[in-house]
Amino acid sequence: MSDGAQKWLERFRLFRGRHKSSSGAVTEAEAPLGESSGLNFIMGYVRRDKIALAGTIGIAIFVMWSVIQGILEQLSGYLNDTTLAYILLPSNPFAFNFKLVLAPPSLANFPVGLMGYDATGRSILSRILYAAPKDALAAILVVTSAIVIGMLLGITAGYIGGWADEVLMRVTDAFLAFPLILLAIALALVLGNGYQVVLVALVVIWWPTYARFFRAQALSLKNRGYVEASRLSGLSSFRIIIRHIFPNSIDPIVAIATLDFGNVVLTYSVLAFLGIGAEVGSPEWGSMSASGLQYVPHVWWFALFPSIAIMAVVVCFSLLGDRIQDLVGGRISY
Amino acid sequence: MASRFLFFVVRRGVNALVTIIIMIALIFMIIHLVAPSPTDMARLYVGSHFNLQQLVQIAHRLGFDQPLYVQFYNYVVGFFQGNFGTDTIYGIPEILVIQEYFPVTIDMVLIGTFLGVGLGIFTGAIAASNRNTAPDYGIKALYLGTWAAPPFLVGVVLQLILAYDLGLLPTTGVADPILLHPAVVTGLPLVDSILAQNWVYLYSYIQHLILPALTIGLISFGSITRLTRATMVDALDKDYVKLAYMKGLPRRKVIWGTAFRNAIIPIITLLAITFAFSVGGAVVVEDVFAYHGIGFFAVTAAYDLDYPAILAITIIVGASVIVANFIADILYGVMDPRVRLT
Amino acid sequence: MFLDVKGLKINYRTVYGNLEAVKSLDLSVEKGETVAVVGESGCGKSTLGHSLVRLLPPNAKYEGKVILDGKDVFALKGKALRMYRGGEVFMIFQDPLNSLNPVKRVDDQMLEAVGMREQIAGREFDREDALKDIIDGLNGVRMPDPEVILRRYPHQLSGGQIQRIVIAMALVMKPKLLIADEPTSALDVTIQAQVIKLIKDLKKEYGMSVIFITHDMAVAYTIADRFLVMYAGQLSELGPVNDVVSKPLHPYSVALVNSIPNKSRKEGKLVAIPGSPPNMLAPPTGCRFHPRCPQVMDICRTEDPLEKEVGGRLLRCHLFD
Repeated sequence: MSDGAQKWLERFRLFRGRHKSSSGAVTEAEAPLGESSGLNFIMGYVRRDKIALAGTIGIAIFVMWSVIQGILEQLSGYLNDTTLAYILLPSNPFAFNFKLVLAPPSLANFPVGLMGYDATGRSILSRILYAAPKDALAAILVVTSAIVIGMLLGITAGYIGGWADEVLMRVTDAFLAFPLILLAIALALVLGNGYQVVLVALVVIWWPTYARFFRAQALSLKNRGYVEASRLSGLSSFRIIIRHIFPNSIDPIVAIATLDFGNVVLTYSVLAFLGIGAEVGSPEWGSMSASGLQYVPHVWWFALFPSIAIMAVVVCFSLLGDRIQDLVGGRISY
Repeated sequence: MASRFLFFVVRRGVNALVTIIIMIALIFMIIHLVAPSPTDMARLYVGSHFNLQQLVQIAHRLGFDQPLYVQFYNYVVGFFQGNFGTDTIYGIPEILVIQEYFPVTIDMVLIGTFLGVGLGIFTGAIAASNRNTAPDYGIKALYLGTWAAPPFLVGVVLQLILAYDLGLLPTTGVADPILLHPAVVTGLPLVDSILAQNWVYLYSYIQHLILPALTIGLISFGSITRLTRATMVDALDKDYVKLAYMKGLPRRKVIWGTAFRNAIIPIITLLAITFAFSVGGAVVVEDVFAYHGIGFFAVTAAYDLDYPAILAITIIVGASVIVANFIADILYGVMDPRVRLT
Repeated sequence: MFLDVKGLKINYRTVYGNLEAVKSLDLSVEKGETVAVVGESGCGKSTLGHSLVRLLPPNAKYEGKVILDGKDVFALKGKALRMYRGGEVFMIFQDPLNSLNPVKRVDDQMLEAVGMREQIAGREFDREDALKDIIDGLNGVRMPDPEVILRRYPHQLSGGQIQRIVIAMALVMKPKLLIADEPTSALDVTIQAQVIKLIKDLKKEYGMSVIFITHDMAVAYTIADRFLVMYAGQLSELGPVNDVVSKPLHPYSVALVNSIPNKSRKEGKLVAIPGSPPNMLAPPTGCRFHPRCPQVMDICRTEDPLEKEVGGRLLRCHLFD
């Protein structure tokens, strides 16, 4: 408990579920079978757990759709062929239809009207599907960049220790104290509005927690016997990091990152809801909800379905992440 | 022993102070990255409707032509003196604008956080002590719903049900606009209206407060539930819990007296983060309920490109989170003998 | 018979399937007797201990019967279960660092125990008397300065001190059966010896029965009257200590006895048991020990041996059919 910075890490990770168990108590019944860590172990568990499996399937659908639709959207840009971007969608997400302004969900013209129409008569379903790749890309880019930056800084600070460590810890303290949304607003304001800017803002917000994590890992492993032994046997610091610190970080990182994919989607949507990062005319779940809210309560579908899309994605990541976290933390015995 | 605890408090205090200064430095850096020259700085602060000559003068008056370290020193000193510059939109000192909006948010966020934490530790403890049974799954479904839902959805659903459908509560606003504000004493309307014995205003204020605070509580309680469940599960597996059973203590006493008492200690450290998260959530919630607090003001300022306002808000809220964290640290020390006595 | 375990079966429901932690185990313990349960970790000995005080995790399923002093332990509920735990049995756990509640002072924790004892006995609780009892208990475990220790928090005490406090708690509770789940494995060797001597003395003084769970044959040898050797949730051999150690019959007992460090043994080296404990989710067919058994026969691979009595011992091995 001597290190205040250490505790900051704990508590930030704890918040929104980035925690690991403090007890390693494994009773006989829990004694791990065969592999007790690593991706294979996690996946082996997930296959047997209905809740985690449901989350995984949801995530798989979301990611696969986003990849396919995302590629199509990019291709249509390169080939200057707009129809390519809509080829898989029920209808053109940009096509106005003034006869269908704010028309309620219906089975007519299935599946275009399934979720109703927005204020200019565009199919809400098509727009939700069109917007999915942005959320997926944000989640993947933000989380991986945050991991990479956090890893570089965290391991350096933890491994070198002393002065560098102290500075890094105070800086991450400062970053962690900013409320996410306010900092993102400030950054978007300063750097100019846009999708890329929001991604940068999210990375700026996200890296400190990972830096903390890797620092703690490096600190706790630095003085373990086997790491010391490798050092004495002449293994370079770089090699030690590759050989010991990485493998020991995989399990907890998988758990944290899984939850964070959901958290990024959620934060991204909240920012879009506030009008930050949303580009005019381009559909986005958060900004669709925001526009829909003007018509609540008479027109509930406009705001509700985009919100539900956000929620569904976050729930899937949470279902899986929760279980992995319990597993990694030794909290699952049955 | 007392002196050790004092040392602990002082060390945490110094840490908090250093963190605040680093935070100011970060904001300072951001400003100077955007506005590298003194005139850019001046334009940032007073808007673009001045010519270059005037901007140079303004830059000189505001000290933007001084060396960076002098500016930084002034900036930090300004922060601790409550000087954040002048608002570009309202033309009055930023601190006055913030004084107007921040207390409303503090009232709401504190009450919301309190609700969320209370609900969270209760449900989390219940879930852990009934692990993998119906109550556990029920609580999980409940918190996953509010945890994964975007905050605006939670707000809107509450608004629709409680305000529009049932008509129990007002839909938007901070208080009935025809009522006069109570005299400002502490700044917090809740406290001020009690001090002024202005019951009508208090009633209206609380009525308007319930929905936003409830939304804040709901969006933050999931995290607390999850953590409490985890720490409680860990605690329930500990030998001291088994030993408590061995003494013949009833289940109720073992769960709430022994396991829970240990499980909530890590939660204390989370209070500050929950507060930070809630302030962030307040930005959205205030947008939904047209609740004129600091979040509402921040969004407005963002649309108006009111840089000094946004930066001032960010620093002040960040600093208040650091202070909250400092308080949580001390509380942690009081609750946990391992910290207090070593 | 004081404690009678008949056909005890404990299954854990896990995501990987059903785990048979204890399989049809029979055991009886006389008053004042010490039985050491030995076996490699994961053999179900700790599960056995926890089942006797009904402290298994909720995913465990009990079958069979445990009768302690005429009470059907698995049928106890609510107040009766509390009275059973507080009054008739006591259990000491493995990890001293987790044995005491970290946020309460030692005296409060011990007073809690005395309070329950008095409540169960239907007596009025008197703090002064209770404290006197507690200090007597601490003196009984030869704890220096009990008054000072009582005002401490657990983190200010050493593992050996805590283990002695827990034993003192047992003294104060005066149970008829003491279950010790590896109480010494986390302690230094010198402290180990002290704690074992304490348990032995107490047993003599109060005539309580002790079930001593350990993986350490040498420790078990110094304390027990009888050995229960367990392998993969089953009884392998049950018999008087001296018989088992001087002439182990079951091949697994032979292997365990050979692993005791012994100066007088000529070879002068420890004999490790080849192979590793079985996967309890998919235990081997037939005799569960057969993949590691040096005297394996064809029948061992297909048929699970039954328990039989051989010269005053219970054995589960085809060699003695």
